[in-house]
Amino acid sequence: MLSLSKRHWSPYVAGIVIGLLQIPAFLLVDTALGASSSFVTAGAWVASLFDAGVSDIAYFAKYMSADKYIWQSALVIGIALGAWLSARASSSRRATFSPAWTRLTGVTSLGSRLALGFVGGFVLLLGARIAGGCTSGHGISGMAQLAVGSTVAVAAMFAGGILTAALMKKI
Amino acid sequence: MSIFWLVLLGLAMGAVFGVALEKSRVMEPGVLVGQFQFRNFTMLKMFLAATITGLIALAVLNGLFGVALHPKSFALGPVLIGGLILGVGIALAGACPGTALAQAGAGYRDAYAVIAGGIAGAIFYGYNIDWIGAALSFGSYGKITFADLLPLPFWGLALILAAMLAAFLVVLERLVPWQADMDKAEALLEHDAVPAGRGYSAPAE
Repeated sequence: MLSLSKRHWSPYVAGIVIGLLQIPAFLLVDTALGASSSFVTAGAWVASLFDAGVSDIAYFAKYMSADKYIWQSALVIGIALGAWLSARASSSRRATFSPAWTRLTGVTSLGSRLALGFVGGFVLLLGARIAGGCTSGHGISGMAQLAVGSTVAVAAMFAGGILTAALMKKI
Repeated sequence: MSIFWLVLLGLAMGAVFGVALEKSRVMEPGVLVGQFQFRNFTMLKMFLAATITGLIALAVLNGLFGVALHPKSFALGPVLIGGLILGVGIALAGACPGTALAQAGAGYRDAYAVIAGGIAGAIFYGYNIDWIGAALSFGSYGKITFADLLPLPFWGLALILAAMLAAFLVVLERLVPWQADMDKAEALLEHDAVPAGRGYSAPAE
């Protein structure tokens, strides 16, 4: 059922596996699953190459040193490793960019997809940092803790996503 | 825990996370945007299954063993506006912050642009946090949960919500079987506009 060489797992199996990761997160790291904070950690270190005063900015400083952010940065690198392993073991390695983009937005060159991807990534993290969490931190973890703010955040995420996807071609 | 073990634990947990995102195809841009167009329900099913599992796990950890929860604050301005911007970003990027890493691992090259854009967005926010925070400082209610608002213990309400979400998933699965969505996700991996690629071979003479 959890074979690495299988092409698919059902979304239910995958969801249960991800949900169970909350147990080591709470017991061993004393935090909930999340992903977007690691972009601040990465951003703070990148910014420190150009701006020696970055660690004086309180927001950046805490993401550069606290245990849970170091753990989360390792977590997202682990996500890339896991997806690499999974795709490799099931002969489903992807190339360049998803053909779905050609259907959704009409892009055919990697260059234009890279440009839209960069803008998308910028908006993605700007929103996640304003909201204080992403689909993992507010979504999976916030809802599992019955957090009122996270529930509002998830509703707003879906609203923003649905409105934007409505402007694209139907997939 | 020492840095060494934190990193090792993070890598191991992330690897499990990444395998699940790849196997379920939730990391596919077509599946994510397809959810927002109500054409593919894989993402919602995975998301709710993870939420239900988390609710049950935390009901036990908190209810029986007193493990502390870490709910985020409810600040209406930031979660509403930030959530909307985040949703727009998910559709444009075809990824969430976590799934962008899964896409890169699975081989999508455009994921690196998403990740670079994300790091730039996080840097931009860090340098502009003062005025953004001031502009959105309305409606702050602290770290409240629905268990604080209702006369029920956390574990009780968590189990009730888990049961409700599970019932919803049973109905959703009857209406839209996951295997059908998976077949659609698989079809989206094939280029139909460009004939070169997997499965294509030059015609003989």
